[in-house]
Amino acid sequence: MKVVTGVVGNDIHVVANRLIDLSLRARGFEVFNLGVNTYLEEFFDAAVETGAEILLISSLNGEAEGWGREVKLLKAKYKDLDNLIMMIGGNLVVGHGNAEDIVPKYKNYGFDLVCHQVDLNTGLDSLEEFIQKRNRK
Amino acid sequence: MSQQNNKLLIDVGSTYFKVSTNDNIEQHFRDFNKDILDDLIHRCGDTIKRFDKDDVYICSSANGGLNTLIIGITKTYSLKYATNIAFNSGINIIDTILYQNIAEYSVPSDLVDVVIIVGGIDSCAGLFSDSLYSYLAKLSYSNIVFVGSEQDAPALKEQISNLVVLPNVIDNKLHIVEDYLKEYLTNLYQQDIEGKEDIKSLYDITANQIYPTPYIVNKALPEIDTRYSVVNPFILLDIGGATTDIHYSKDLVDENIVTKNEFDRLVFKKLGVFKSKQSLIFTAKNNEFVYELLMHLKVTENIFNEQSQKATKILMQLAIFLVLCKISHYRKAYINLKFLTINSFVLTGGITKVLTKEEIENIVAFFYKKILTSEHRPVVVLDSNYDIWTLGVKGD
Repeated sequence: MKVVTGVVGNDIHVVANRLIDLSLRARGFEVFNLGVNTYLEEFFDAAVETGAEILLISSLNGEAEGWGREVKLLKAKYKDLDNLIMMIGGNLVVGHGNAEDIVPKYKNYGFDLVCHQVDLNTGLDSLEEFIQKRNRK
Repeated sequence: MSQQNNKLLIDVGSTYFKVSTNDNIEQHFRDFNKDILDDLIHRCGDTIKRFDKDDVYICSSANGGLNTLIIGITKTYSLKYATNIAFNSGINIIDTILYQNIAEYSVPSDLVDVVIIVGGIDSCAGLFSDSLYSYLAKLSYSNIVFVGSEQDAPALKEQISNLVVLPNVIDNKLHIVEDYLKEYLTNLYQQDIEGKEDIKSLYDITANQIYPTPYIVNKALPEIDTRYSVVNPFILLDIGGATTDIHYSKDLVDENIVTKNEFDRLVFKKLGVFKSKQSLIFTAKNNEFVYELLMHLKVTENIFNEQSQKATKILMQLAIFLVLCKISHYRKAYINLKFLTINSFVLTGGITKVLTKEEIENIVAFFYKKILTSEHRPVVVLDSNYDIWTLGVKGD
């Protein structure tokens, strides 16, 4: 499956981005890595150009909170992205926060999978489970 | 004398032609009742006879360039990449269409020289459907090229007659691949010039390829400081009878992703002061600042109906203002130049024979004040003796 990934907003956490890239490839995904400092529109446009089924956004400095609010509005402008699996992971708030509060908030922003301060492999396990469940339907 | 100095250089514009030898430059208003070659021979026959065909170098902008319409599937990749390649090839972009909304776009009534369809990496398929074919059925165009996913190419080729298929401009890492489309567009431009009957006949006096003038001027820019005190970054305006060309240092744009040239160029096909005069006036009347500018120049809009030296001057001043608007945030065409960092404005072409340095500085100051609300004043340099063009032709 094709995955578009990258770090959203003004965030240069390139090591985490590289680890996500390598881990996805190790699991057999075809990865399109947009790198750091990526705008939301670039993620969606890349999904259209590549025909990706999954969009995995990472964030470490809390930028995601601001950008996340625009996801639904922007995605609604695209006519062919209804089936795109939307996943976000990393440190999703500025400072500290509880996953119980953060996960519902991001799901409300339009993400199917939200991994706040979750180990990378655990997060990718949950992605594969999500895909399996969806395929069964 | 070196062989280079023995060249005869000729530039055929839509309004004037220029003939340059080692020791002289002549400029003549064209006689439109005559074929270009006959006109040239009539005016400069003795000069032309002195040179072998191998030593005659000709460039032309008399055709006014090509225009293109680009249809792509995203703004960030396909449209951005194709747009960059097109304007780096000297092509005038009349519109870009985001494919998913194609039904909402109006169809241009004028003939489009080349339509570019782009979208998807090579492993992606099924991106285009009937909405594209319906749109194209309503559009008049001369050439059409597909530079998107190779998997979609056969389906498009089946539906669109005369479709040229080139390698994708987007590679599998979503990076730009410019070479194939750029070569195609440059060749089309070249063929367009060569295809003009008038231009074809010029091969009677030259054994060398006839190049588009903007290409020649662009080639001279890295060497411009050998002739003028020009400080980078700078822009160069070539305002002619049919078109206005802008050449600019790449430092002045953030968006440009094509890397091979140090200087880029844009060609505005309908912003000339002679052949495109009516189009220029139309554009002027749709600019909210133009009446204020006319007042600043102490004339009224009646000047548009006059045929005088003064009217030509005003039109040239308007052309400068309008073209600057087009590449600023005010009326962004495809780029937004960083005007506040420009150090020099260089002007070449017929404009240097009509306007003085002070008259040009006046317009530049008006533009900076009204559009950019800035007191910044780049240095204006006039290439009155066509040194830049000479430099470009000689360097070829």
